Amino acid sequence: MSDTSDTGLQLEQTANPGLRELFVCMMQVAFSAFGGGMSLWSHRIIVERRHWMTSESFVTGLTVARLFPGPNQINMSVYIGSIFKGVPGSLAAIAGIILFPFTLLMVLGLIYFQISAISEVNRLLAGLAAAAAGMALSMGFKILDVYKTDYLALAIAVIVFVCLQGFKFPLIPVVLISGAISMSLYWPRGQRR
Amino acid sequence: MTAIETWWHVVFTFLKLSLFSIGGGNTLLQAYHHEAVETFGWLTNRQFSDLYGLAEAAPGPSSMFVGLLGLGAGWKHGPAWALITGYSAELAILLPSTVVMLIASVYWNRWRDSPWRMAFERGLGPVTLGILFSVSVTILRTANHSLIAYGLSFMVCFFVLKTKISPLVFIGICGLAGVLGFVR
Repeated sequence: MSDTSDTGLQLEQTANPGLRELFVCMMQVAFSAFGGGMSLWSHRIIVERRHWMTSESFVTGLTVARLFPGPNQINMSVYIGSIFKGVPGSLAAIAGIILFPFTLLMVLGLIYFQISAISEVNRLLAGLAAAAAGMALSMGFKILDVYKTDYLALAIAVIVFVCLQGFKFPLIPVVLISGAISMSLYWPRGQRR
Repeated sequence: MTAIETWWHVVFTFLKLSLFSIGGGNTLLQAYHHEAVETFGWLTNRQFSDLYGLAEAAPGPSSMFVGLLGLGAGWKHGPAWALITGYSAELAILLPSTVVMLIASVYWNRWRDSPWRMAFERGLGPVTLGILFSVSVTILRTANHSLIAYGLSFMVCFFVLKTKISPLVFIGICGLAGVLGFVR
């Protein structure tokens, strides 16, 4: 596979985990972190415990993972896997983070459809959904904190919100149009290259 | 509708949406709800929010929710089709975004000085912020059918932001409140 030493990634450690280690480590992350906070756990396991990456290169990876489409944690495992072992590394890392948790979830899902007539299960899930809704809301506020003095960013966010919630415009055109406008507004000035 | 047709609708829907899940998986929840409940009727509103709670509480990335939507869509054709559709749904939502991320993780540091990269880094954040709040409103409305449920959600949000208590604690408390019959 492609040599990753030419990507300019600065790793201070000489860690060189193999495919199996990548798989096992990401599985450990997945099962440590139920109930959210997964990026916290992957930092703890990958940086603090296994010393595979420095904190700085981890944060760079997380930024790229957040910017590009796809679930953050899946993207982060793609990034980590590709640093060490290229494409096969990414696949091993994704498999690690998702294969067993997903299979477990599918089994729980089958049980749900089989027995959803039982009212205790429904009531439990109603409670869990309320908690999950609260956590989803907290994500918005966490990111809002970053932009609280950037009025242009807040204006863009409000317009996007109104388009989706107020006018019920579909997501795809809203992302394409507002993304293009926002990128042109934030285009770096006086730094042509 | 045959099992194959359902499978194809599921796969096509999630392939199409994959590249628009910016800022993490949650940004698509509104679109998932629109497709799964309103357009195709794979699930009822109640099932949608139940499964969302299940995906959040189970270990692993919460984006695995998509697999449960696929499972629900395939369920009417039997458990075997439900599983096939569930795994396919997850593959479909992950495939396009993963390919893009793979390319990005190889090239990102080479693009360090590109104005495209800078505009992309700064410009996409505000859009994501707007989407996240819109999604939160949809989730709150889908998940909560009583004032007490809304109250629980706002409390969880507050404590997650202001304290370092593990979210697992709130999941436990809300689950218990649910079982005791306070939520609906």
